[in-house]
Amino acid sequence: MSATSELPGAAEREQPGPIHHKGPGPSESGWLDPRGRGHGGRALALHRITGLVIVFYLYMHLGVLSMLLIGRSAWSSFLSVVTAKSFLALEVVLIAAVLFHGLNGIRVAFVGSGIAVTRERALFWTGTVIGTGAVIFAALHILGAL
Amino acid sequence: MSQEERHPGGPNVTQTGQDDTRRFRIYRYKRGDGGERFDEFEVPVGPHTTVLDALRWIRQHKDPSLALRFSCLHASCGTCGMQVDGREELACVCSVQDHGQQITVEPLANLPVLTDLVVEMNGFFARFPHEHPIIRSSGASSESNGEVHLEGTHEVTLELPSPVPLHHHPLHHQHRAAPPAVDFVRLEDCIECGLCLSACPVAATSHDYVGPAALAAAERLLEEPRGVKREDVLAWAGRPEGVWRCHVGLECTRACPAEAIPAERIMALRRELTFGGPDDEEDKR
Amino acid sequence: MSARYDAHVLIVGGGATGGGLAHDLALRGLRVTVVDRGEVTSGTSGRHHGLLHSGARYAVGDREAGVECIRENMILKRIAPGTFECNDGLFVAVCDEDLEYLEPLVEGCASADIPVQRLTAAEALALEPNLNPELKAAVRVPDATVDPMRLILRFFATARHNGADIRPYMEVIGLLRHDGVVTGAAVHDHVTGKEGEIHADVVVNAAGPWSEKVAAMAGAEVPMTPSPGVLLALRGRYCNMVINRMHKSGDGDIVVPQRGLSIVGTTSWVVEDPDDLSVPEDHVERMYTEGSKLIPALRHAERRAAWSAARPLVGAAGAATGRELSRTFQTFDHAEKDGIEGFVTITGGKSTTLRGMAELCADVVCRKLGIDEPCATRDTALLPHTAYYSEAVAA
Repeated sequence: MSATSELPGAAEREQPGPIHHKGPGPSESGWLDPRGRGHGGRALALHRITGLVIVFYLYMHLGVLSMLLIGRSAWSSFLSVVTAKSFLALEVVLIAAVLFHGLNGIRVAFVGSGIAVTRERALFWTGTVIGTGAVIFAALHILGAL
Repeated sequence: MSQEERHPGGPNVTQTGQDDTRRFRIYRYKRGDGGERFDEFEVPVGPHTTVLDALRWIRQHKDPSLALRFSCLHASCGTCGMQVDGREELACVCSVQDHGQQITVEPLANLPVLTDLVVEMNGFFARFPHEHPIIRSSGASSESNGEVHLEGTHEVTLELPSPVPLHHHPLHHQHRAAPPAVDFVRLEDCIECGLCLSACPVAATSHDYVGPAALAAAERLLEEPRGVKREDVLAWAGRPEGVWRCHVGLECTRACPAEAIPAERIMALRRELTFGGPDDEEDKR
Repeated sequence: MSARYDAHVLIVGGGATGGGLAHDLALRGLRVTVVDRGEVTSGTSGRHHGLLHSGARYAVGDREAGVECIRENMILKRIAPGTFECNDGLFVAVCDEDLEYLEPLVEGCASADIPVQRLTAAEALALEPNLNPELKAAVRVPDATVDPMRLILRFFATARHNGADIRPYMEVIGLLRHDGVVTGAAVHDHVTGKEGEIHADVVVNAAGPWSEKVAAMAGAEVPMTPSPGVLLALRGRYCNMVINRMHKSGDGDIVVPQRGLSIVGTTSWVVEDPDDLSVPEDHVERMYTEGSKLIPALRHAERRAAWSAARPLVGAAGAATGRELSRTFQTFDHAEKDGIEGFVTITGGKSTTLRGMAELCADVVCRKLGIDEPCATRDTALLPHTAYYSEAVAA
C-alpha cells in the first residue's frame, strides 16, 4: 500500500515493542513480583524458591557426607559446627521449606489434575495448618531440647 | 434539565467541596525516542472516579499525547486492561477509592507495548485455538451456531444464510403462532481482556505458554462443541505449551473481571486429559 | 488484495461510521486509510448498551426510521452471524397508561414491516421470569444484543483484509487545503510522537460528535448537538431478551443483557464539548428507579459501572434535551454546501444502521471521484473480530 509509506511513524509501528513485565529485573523474574498477588501466586513463588533450597541442600548434604571419607577428626570438627544452636535453627528453616514444598505439592497435584478444584482453598488452609503445626513441633524439639 | 456546573475534575466530581486529589505515576513509552519513563500527574477525584476517568482527564487537561485504549467504559469490551499498583484491573471499573494517595499505572505484562499504556493484542489472540466462537447456548448444548472457519490466509469459507423474507418471519403479525420455543443464546463470559495472561506467573517465564484465556476458550469448546471435534481440542490443549505449562498459580481467575474462571477451566481440561475417556457421552458434566 | 483504483480516501474517525465506510470503499476497490486519535470504537460507538434495534421504538413516530432499522437489523444478522444474541426483545406494559401505547406500537411495526407478536402477561413471564409480575401485556420484536466493539471490529478486520489501512492513535490536527480543495490531513502519531501529512483525494469526516470540530478545520460548518445520556451496568444477568418499556421514548426505559451484566439506559441532555461528559448521580438513581419498574430485582443489584456517551445528533443548538432531534443521519458534500472540494461529512445515525449509512456515503464519495462501483456490503460476510488482531498492526 503506497499510502502507508507516507504515514508518520509507519516504520516504528512495525517493530516489536518492549514487553512490559512484572517486577524489576529480566522478564523471566516476573513470577517473583509479590505486588497484586493472591495466595496462589505467592505459593507458586515460594514453591519455586523452596524447590531450589531443597536441591541446594541435597547437594550440600551429599558433599557433607563425603566428609566421612576424610576421617574421624574432620567429621568431629564438622559436627561441632552443625550442632550449634544457630545451625540448628537453619535446620528448622529447612524443615519448614521441605514441609511447605511437600504439602503445597500435594495441593498442586490434586488441584492440577482436576480432582479438588472447588475445594482448593480448603486444601490450602489445611496444608498451612498441618505445616505450621509440624514446624512448631520440630522447632520446639530441635531447639527446645538444648 | 440543568447540567451540573463543570468542575475541573474527572466525571462524578460534584461541587460539594470535594478536595480529594491523587498522584498518578504513569508509564510512558513512545517509539522512536526509545525511552521508557514514568510521568506524574495530580488529578482531582470524587467518590465514583475510576482510574480510566482519571487517565482520560489527564489526556484531556494535562497531556494529550497520553495514549489510552478503552471503548465500552463498563467492563464489557475488555480493552482497558492495565496494571494498577501492580495488580491487573480493567481501568474503567477500578475505583480510585480502593487505592492510596499515589497510584502507579503500568501496561499489562507479558505482551509487547505499542505505546504508553496500550499493548499489542495480536500476540494474545494468536494463542487462541483456531476455532473461537463467542456465542453459546444459554444452557450447554452441542448445536452448532453459525461457526466461522478461518484457514491459512483467513479465507472465509462462511456460507451466508439466505435472507428470510420478512413476511415469512415467525414473528410476523400475520403468521401468529404460539411463541417460538425458548432457546436463548448468549455471548461467552470471556471478554478477551488479557488480564489473566498478564497476571500469570508462568507466562512471565515461558513466552510460548498459550495462557489461561486460550485454554479456557478450549475448555468452553468441550462444554459446547459448536462443530469442533473433542479430540482436536484435547490434542491442542495437551501440548507442552498448553495445559501442562500451568503451575496452578490461580492468579488468572483472581484477575479475571468477567467470571470466565480460567483456572477452573484449565483444571477441567487437565482432568479430561488425565482421566477422561474416549467417548463423548461419558464425561458430560 | 490490492486496490483496483488509485483514488485514496482518508476517513477521519474510527467508530462505527468509519468502520462501515472503510469496509464499503475497500470492497469497491478504493484505497482507504482510517485514522482515529485513540483506539477504534473509543468514541461513542463502543459505549452503547449493545442493542441491535428492531426499529419498533421508532416505528411509531417515524416509519422511515423503522423500515431502515429492520432492514439493517436483518442484514447485519446475515453478514455477521456469531456476533449477536438473537433472543428478540419485549416491549412491556407495566401500568394502564402503558397499554395506550400498545396499539400504536403494533400498528407502527406492521406498517414498517417489523415482525411483531402480541403476548399475554403469562407468556411474557414464561419467557422472562424476572419481569415485573404486575405487567399487563407485552409485545415481542426481533431486537438482538450485540457487543458493540466486536461488531465494528468485524468491519475493520474485513476492510483491512481488503487492503484498507487502519491507524488508531493517529490524531488529525489540521486539514490540508489548497485553493479551496481539501487535499489531506496533518496528523500527529501518538505511537511515536511524530507528525506528518496524509494526502487523499477525498477526506471523509466520520468523527461522530466531534464532526463539528473536524469540519471547522476545513472551514466548513456542521451543526452538531452532542447529546449524552447515562447508562448503568448492574451485576447479574436478569434477562436474555432486550426489555423495553411500552411507552414513548423516555429515561431508563430499556434493559439490555451484556454477558453477566444488565445494562439500564438512558437519559438525555445536551452539551457543547463531547469530551467533557459528566455522570450525574441523579441520573444513575433514575436508572435504578425506572429499570426496576421493568425488572424489580435491579433495585438491589450491585453497580458495576456508570458512564455516559454522546449521541452525535445533527442539528443546531437550541434543543433542550436532545430527544427532539431526529436520529437520522446526514451526508454533507461540502462542495455543494460550502464550496469546499474533496471533503465529505457523514454524521448522525444509530449504530444499527451503520452499514446503510456507509453505503449512502460511499455512493457520494464514489460519485465525487467518478468511480462507478456498486455497493457489495449487503451480501458480503464479515471476518470474525479476532481477524482484526491477526495481521500486523502496521501491515
